[in-house]
Amino acid sequence: MVAPALVFAGVMIVFPFGYAVWLSLCEIALGQPPRLNGGANYARLAADADFWNGLRLTLLLYVISLVAQLVIGTWLGLLLARSRWARGIIRTILVSPFMLPPVVIGMMAIVILDPSFGIANWILAQLGLPPRLWLSDPDTVILTVAAIDTWQWTPFVALIVMGGYLSLPGEVFEAAEVDGARGWQRFRRLTLPLLGPTLVTAAVLRSVDLLRFFDVIYITTQGGPGTASTTLNIMAYRRGFEFFDIGYASAIMVTLSAIIFGSVLAFARLRRAVTW
Amino acid sequence: MKRRELIGGALSAAAAAAVPARAQSAFDWRRQDGQTINLMFNNHPWSQAMRDLVADFTARTGIRTRIEIFNEEQFRARLTTFMQGRSADLDVFMTLASREGPVFRKAGWYADLAPLLADPALTAPDYDAADFSASIQAANTFDRQVVAVPINQEGPLFYWRKDVFERLGIPEPRYLEDIPAAAAAIKARDPNIIPWAARGLRTAIPYAFVGFVNNLGGSVVTPDGKPGMSQPASIRGLEMYANLLKEYGPPGALNHTFTQVIELLGSGRVAMVHESSNEFANIMRFPNRAKDLGVKILPPGRESGISKPAAIGWGISISAHSRRQPAAWTFLQWATSKETQGKLVSAGVAPPRASVFQGPAFEAWTAELPIRRAWAEALVRLGREGSGVFQPPTDRIPEAREKIGDAVQQVVLGRATPAEAARMADEELAKLQ
Repeated sequence: MVAPALVFAGVMIVFPFGYAVWLSLCEIALGQPPRLNGGANYARLAADADFWNGLRLTLLLYVISLVAQLVIGTWLGLLLARSRWARGIIRTILVSPFMLPPVVIGMMAIVILDPSFGIANWILAQLGLPPRLWLSDPDTVILTVAAIDTWQWTPFVALIVMGGYLSLPGEVFEAAEVDGARGWQRFRRLTLPLLGPTLVTAAVLRSVDLLRFFDVIYITTQGGPGTASTTLNIMAYRRGFEFFDIGYASAIMVTLSAIIFGSVLAFARLRRAVTW
Repeated sequence: MKRRELIGGALSAAAAAAVPARAQSAFDWRRQDGQTINLMFNNHPWSQAMRDLVADFTARTGIRTRIEIFNEEQFRARLTTFMQGRSADLDVFMTLASREGPVFRKAGWYADLAPLLADPALTAPDYDAADFSASIQAANTFDRQVVAVPINQEGPLFYWRKDVFERLGIPEPRYLEDIPAAAAAIKARDPNIIPWAARGLRTAIPYAFVGFVNNLGGSVVTPDGKPGMSQPASIRGLEMYANLLKEYGPPGALNHTFTQVIELLGSGRVAMVHESSNEFANIMRFPNRAKDLGVKILPPGRESGISKPAAIGWGISISAHSRRQPAAWTFLQWATSKETQGKLVSAGVAPPRASVFQGPAFEAWTAELPIRRAWAEALVRLGREGSGVFQPPTDRIPEAREKIGDAVQQVVLGRATPAEAARMADEELAKLQ
């Protein structure tokens, strides 16, 4: 009965990952068979300033986006759950951003945020505010990319939170109301703990996506200006496909996969801790 | 004999070797009738036009085609995957031999076209390989191995809004040093128009940048083949290119490549650009640009008196792993024949064949509009005076170009002086040699 599942996992997951690990341990000259190089690619990673910069940017983007999406998503989810009349239509609208292909999101961001002809700066000008460089400013590019991802994926978190909230036992809230718990106190002491497992699930789903975030960055900045948005994914892609340095690119991706796996494990433990 | 002449003649020599046999030539366009070949192209005016023309090829040869066109980055990624996997599914691909030629050849990815050219049974008697100029042949020949046949010639050209210059009373830049002065005057007299635009995206910079270095008398390579960004004239070129972007370029220029530059020029928001000759047809699609634009080769440096911007040419190659090489070669011949290149002219593809460039069809087409004539004249000069050298000698060309682009970005961002950025670039470039 489990044989098909095992075969599927072996062919589709274990083999590609195992192959990537093997490539990461090889020196690969184009057109030549890979040659084991005794982990030299990993030693090179440790000494590569670009790798550490990529790791820093990957984690920075991850933390900023995840926090923003969880906070705004929770607020939006609770708002939706409580206003029954708006739920249907707003839910439909909310679904739209994350139904859009990343290429469309990237192209939209380029057009909207272009400092010369984008509508974002036009709106700022109408409000009497100075123009921004958005994706072209090395100091703000990660924030801008995080904002794009937050715009796209916060509704996803909101829908998860709304579903989680609506499945909570109503009598607990009624009892809290009888006991005089209101507003912030009720949210902090009751809603948030009860939503814990739901939020951890949302965090796991978004973590995997955020740590392997590639498409929108590649379309909008290609890792620039300079290396200001060269996350590990972008770095690995460029190393592999533009510089034909496939062994080193594989080492970067295996390292990133380990980070993703580690974060999922950490959230799995957290989920056990917050289950009620 | 000089090396350039030696390799430059390889394509012609291969064809010439076939001449005595031509008397018994059994070449037949329909010899590969019934085959299907797979073609992978970069998104380019040539490939877009080819998609419409390829039905003619099938009608003439009976060979069917499957064409895939991708944007350049995706094209290279997919090509690398196919070739590294030794896939026999791909038969023909576009290549920029000046960029990836050494690496691809070392990897054994190119089929050698010289034996095909020399085979009278496989090469049309009127193909006339010698019609391609020696420099274009040389760019596609490595140690007598012909890796590609040329499909176009291109390079960055200086486009400027003649109407804006006239309205603001600013003379047309005659020397490179006149460009910053003109940009300053435009900025002072009309704040509604962006004075200058050029590529600011790191990997895209060298194509447009190298002309600034060369025209001021510098070079990205020293005479002994070492990185040359720190040479005084090269630093001046770096400073001028970066300052133009910084002081007079559009906001966000560091993420701009040809798409944004052309959009700005086409929509009438910028007064001067240094952008590809290849984009000429796209620029002409915007209203009024055919009337109000001027185009010429990048003005020479005042002291050096030379103009030597980048000059490149795409080619098409046959995969060494292809099992349908004769059919693929039939396609290459048809696509680079005089007849097909003549048809491609109207799509704005600059023909690499001298006979087409100087032929009546091209002449008639350029005579229709003054700007077409100016474009054609600029291309003649580009072919004659341009340079295929974008970086110091290395097999790791894409990385080297990124280091040069990075130096420009550091200056634009104010994170390094031109001298510092040049020194750092040279150190990095030396590691790639």
